[in-house]
Amino acid sequence: MAHFEIKDLTFSYPAAGEKKALDQVNITIEHGQYVTVCGQSGSGKTTLLKQLKSVLAPHGKKSGEILFEGTRLEEVNLRTQSSKIGYVMQNPDSQIVTDKVWHELAFGLESLGMDQKTMRLRVAEMASYFGIQDWFHRNVTELSGGQKQLLNLASIMAMQPSVLILDEPTSQLDPIAAADFLNTIRKINRELRTTIIITEHRLEDIFYASDKVIVMEEGRVIADEEPGKIGAFLKKENRRMFAAMPSPVQIFYGVNGTGNCPLTVREGGAWLSRYFAGKTPEYTTVEDKITIDPDDVQKPAVLMKEVWFRYEKNGKDVLKGTTIQVPENTLFAIVGGNGTGKSTSLKIICNICKPYRGHVYIHGQRVDKIKGDRLFKQNVALLPQDPLSLFVKKTVREDLEEMCDRNLSEEKVREIAKLCEIEEILEQHPYDLSGGEQQRAALAKILLTEPKILLLDEPTKGLDNFFKIQFGKIMKRLKQQGATIIMVSHDVEFCAKYADLVSMFFDGGIITTNTANRFFAQNSFYTTAANRMSRHVFENAVTNEDVIQLCQKNQ
Amino acid sequence: MTNKDSFTEYHPIINFMFFIGAIVCGMFYIHPYFVGVSVFCAAAYLITVRGTKAFSILAGMCGVFIVISIINPIFNTNGEHVLCQLFGRPYTLEALLYGMTLAGMMVSILLWFVSYQTVMTSDKFLYLFGGLSPAFSLVLTMILRLVPNYQKKIMQISEIRKSIGKSAGDGTLRQKTEHGITVLSVTTTWALEGGIVMADSMQSRGYGCGKRSRFSIYRMGNGDKLLLILMTLLLTITLVCGAKGMASITFAPTIQMHGSTMVRIGGLIVYMLFLMLPTMINIKENVTWHILRSKI
Repeated sequence: MAHFEIKDLTFSYPAAGEKKALDQVNITIEHGQYVTVCGQSGSGKTTLLKQLKSVLAPHGKKSGEILFEGTRLEEVNLRTQSSKIGYVMQNPDSQIVTDKVWHELAFGLESLGMDQKTMRLRVAEMASYFGIQDWFHRNVTELSGGQKQLLNLASIMAMQPSVLILDEPTSQLDPIAAADFLNTIRKINRELRTTIIITEHRLEDIFYASDKVIVMEEGRVIADEEPGKIGAFLKKENRRMFAAMPSPVQIFYGVNGTGNCPLTVREGGAWLSRYFAGKTPEYTTVEDKITIDPDDVQKPAVLMKEVWFRYEKNGKDVLKGTTIQVPENTLFAIVGGNGTGKSTSLKIICNICKPYRGHVYIHGQRVDKIKGDRLFKQNVALLPQDPLSLFVKKTVREDLEEMCDRNLSEEKVREIAKLCEIEEILEQHPYDLSGGEQQRAALAKILLTEPKILLLDEPTKGLDNFFKIQFGKIMKRLKQQGATIIMVSHDVEFCAKYADLVSMFFDGGIITTNTANRFFAQNSFYTTAANRMSRHVFENAVTNEDVIQLCQKNQ
Repeated sequence: MTNKDSFTEYHPIINFMFFIGAIVCGMFYIHPYFVGVSVFCAAAYLITVRGTKAFSILAGMCGVFIVISIINPIFNTNGEHVLCQLFGRPYTLEALLYGMTLAGMMVSILLWFVSYQTVMTSDKFLYLFGGLSPAFSLVLTMILRLVPNYQKKIMQISEIRKSIGKSAGDGTLRQKTEHGITVLSVTTTWALEGGIVMADSMQSRGYGCGKRSRFSIYRMGNGDKLLLILMTLLLTITLVCGAKGMASITFAPTIQMHGSTMVRIGGLIVYMLFLMLPTMINIKENVTWHILRSKI
């Protein structure tokens, strides 16, 4: 008997009219399978997952049926559904109900009315399995994002579900926490035989481990295959989802490779070796996109000189004599681990945080000497990590109009909306937008201050690959208009593709700065998948395009 | 000195009973001896709980004590022994002593409350009173979870508003007010949005599918029972002696203590034993630990 059987499921939201959010979906999921659901934002992934649990299913017109272990889902009672079907949502923060870690772990068990003895055992089991003992007594507010999401997972696992549904669980986490979380999911699947149904942007970490991958487009399932065959299908049909495939897959089909499609860096490297078997490639380097000597900048747009900063008087220093020089009209990326002071640097550049030693200069002028709002008008703008915090009005248009003079607004808003590709969503409520749309609308809002220097804090967090490409294009356009962009990011692939200069931040200071190609080519861990799989053949190929280009050149 | 507080580890009901006993007795036994004992015990316990940090609190309390003591005789001129004339009114020894007793009482209560805050965390309180109504206790935990969340969000939004030149500190008074209101209204929107997700998360984990039970991490061990009995005994004796007038005293016109001296002295000793319980527990555990460690 299949675990989940979805038959001819069609669904439309009440306000959407004829447009179907799900269209004739047929899927069978067996016990213990690891199923990845992928698709562009708005393709119906979340809608599909929510249908699998009655209390979460949105209102709307629905036809077809869903069988859970052979019974129609509507006939499975709330109690069974609560404990058997676990559902982890995107935002780690809003899912947590109680104030203490131990209480949160027991929340579901309390709802089921279990007795004290069973609860104690279950909670103890979960805390041990997920390594929560060390922070068992803490307040949830003290936890990091990764810990919060792990707590959400553990508190659901305490109810011993037979299937675990995860809706982009790692989109708000940094790459290391995300990889940890996804490893835990794999462990659960392998060791407990829990069925996993997961949607994710970061396919690199889960694609190869899946038993099958379901690709959705506009509410329809366009592919339902094992991962090895998905790439071939998408390439053949020339679907947009191809751009979201892991690097090895994209490179393999980019050069029309033969044999089995590689899914991981290891397989990709082996395949590349076979590709060049018996011959040495003639060309092994790509040209630098830009020639700047990062150590000798003549007129820096932003200069941070020996800056020291700490948040509390007796706290430890976050920045320890940091020096950053950002050349005019470049995209300058800062990468590095969590809590090393990257975001703090951005706040210091725009004078929200004030250093206790050292100074910041913008176009040669000291930041703390710039009076009042002149700093934030036609000068510096910061795009915060959580774009939602920027919006304060009922529609995107009103939010944009807030930023400009009354008589000029319409013209200006139209112009910016076009640049950021948000013309179609101007009348919507900011909270109703998808992550990528929010990001672009937020960008539009801060662009209305006409900044010459743009500071971006994790701009690609939670975005899918299409939005990233779109976002990258906007960045290029802004640069053409003369802007200088400083970006803090965990997204190695994005930096490799779009940044001119990349800096490594560690322990309160910049360790090294170099052009993107040279920077990533010299790293062996902190670099792109394309570089990791090709470094034994090519010298400085860091993006998928670089590898494909070199392969073709050597043909 | 390590400030590991072992008394905290005992069952919440013991923690709670002790503080209620200490605070209520402290308020009723307004007698120099008893107030002195209470202040001494409260300070001793605070030091074992907070370590060196306690000293700055105690220094502040000294200030409070001195100010209240000196001020009282200015308004209250009862008493026979006149020390001096101030503002043309007699400044009497009895009034000064009464002021000191009152000040000591206030200081002792404040000190007990400081310790109470560190020991009786919200989860202990909820454990004790959550049983009265599961729904109410859940609402309380949720509030405890959400309040810090809101504070953080308001901070975050204000900071971001500042970075686009629209902070509550910019512009005219009217603009300032508008900016402030904007921050509040957007936080509300954000909270409602988060509330939907939280409701989903609660329902998806079975909230509302039957009678809830209550999980707790506390259990009553033999040590707890023993301490509970001892504490009840000491407290009862103190209260009985109290009823027999152990702490009854009049300050004016001259200081006079009433009731039997035996009851007073006996009551004082028992009262002190009761108040010293947590401190003694802490010291004992500390010493035991050092002895054990030196044997390794």
